[in-house]
Parts: sequence; structure tokens; C-alpha cells
Amino acid sequence: MAQTQKSEIQDEKVEKEPTLLGAFTAVMIVGLFIIITWAGVFILFNQRF
Amino acid sequence: MHMHKFEKIWLIFGVASLIVFLSVLGVSAFHQGHHPSSWSNIIDPEQVDETKPFDEPGLKKVEGKEWDYELVFVASAFLYAPSEVQIPLGSTVKIIATTKDVIHGFQIPGSNVNMMLEPGYIVEYITTLNQPGEFLVLCNEYCGVGHHMMTSKIEVVES
Repeated sequence: MAQTQKSEIQDEKVEKEPTLLGAFTAVMIVGLFIIITWAGVFILFNQRF
Repeated sequence: MHMHKFEKIWLIFGVASLIVFLSVLGVSAFHQGHHPSSWSNIIDPEQVDETKPFDEPGLKKVEGKEWDYELVFVASAFLYAPSEVQIPLGSTVKIIATTKDVIHGFQIPGSNVNMMLEPGYIVEYITTLNQPGEFLVLCNEYCGVGHHMMTSKIEVVES
């Protein structure tokens, strides 16, 4: 009985691990946008006199 | 503390980006010498015409400096002195400017030259003119009824 309860709790813990693939993708898209715009402005600044 | 693998990745990514950005800014400020165009030099705005180098606005060849020419501009409502200037292609120029009355702008559209001229302050910008052609200098700070007519012209010519 005790063992069954324990394994149920473990199962719950495993299930609670969130899937963050969507959040990860969104963060990387925002990050790339920031890097590309920053680099664009920096290159423009260096090319102009 | 338990952290998700993705959280670790995006935190490292964010911190690394920040370090790269700040390093680039640091190198550009301390190694390449970029700084605000007005940062240390002041002038009595009522004595501009009597104060060197503003007593003779225009282009002056200099020797023994990091730049080849000094280009002195005096702004006042609603004109720049000089109103037109010719500069040899490829020369390094230090633009030195101030205003005699109100706040004026000093912008060469399409370039990095974009400064605010405030009474009592001298602005400076060092640049190498490596594009031939005519460049407009205009006032981009509203200074009065003649603001829209306040321009000057820089001609970069092959010597």
C-alpha cells in the first residue's frame, strides 16, 4: 500500500515537469530579433561617415 | 534549485548577448574613442565672434594632429557660417561648432554627423570624408521662423 502511494507521487512529479518548447522558441525568436536589429544598427553606424 | 534545461539555455544566451553588446560598446568608447559630441568645452555665447577658432569660421589645414582639417561652424538664427565649404576627398576632418543665440541642430542627413548646438557649449566630431559629392547641413532643432531655411553645404571634391 505504502509503495503504491510512493510511486503515484513520483508519477505526479514527472508529469508536472512543464513542456517549455513553445516558450523556448518564443524566447529565441525575440533574442534573434534583438541581435539582428542591434547588429544592423551597428553596421550602419560603422559604414557611414 | 531545479531548473529546466531550456531555462538554462536561454539564460546563458541572454547573459552572453549582454556581455557581447557591452564589450562592443566598451571597445568603441575606450579604444576607438567614441564619446558624446559635446562633453567638456564651453564658451561665452556672447563672445563667439571674438573667441578662437570661431573668429574665422571655415576650413583650416592643421599639422601634427590626428586630423587633416578643422572645419569651424558658427550657427545663428537662421544661418550657418560658412554657408558653403569645399573639402578634399578622403581627408579627416574635425568639425567644431557652436551657436551664438538659441539651440540649433547640426545634421548631415545620411551620415553619423548629428549634433545639438547649445549656447555656451562647443561640439566636436571627427570623421573621414570618403564619399565624393554634395552634402547638406541642416538645422534639426526648431529655432524660430526661419528654421526651415537654415542650411549649409559641404562639397567633398577630388583634389
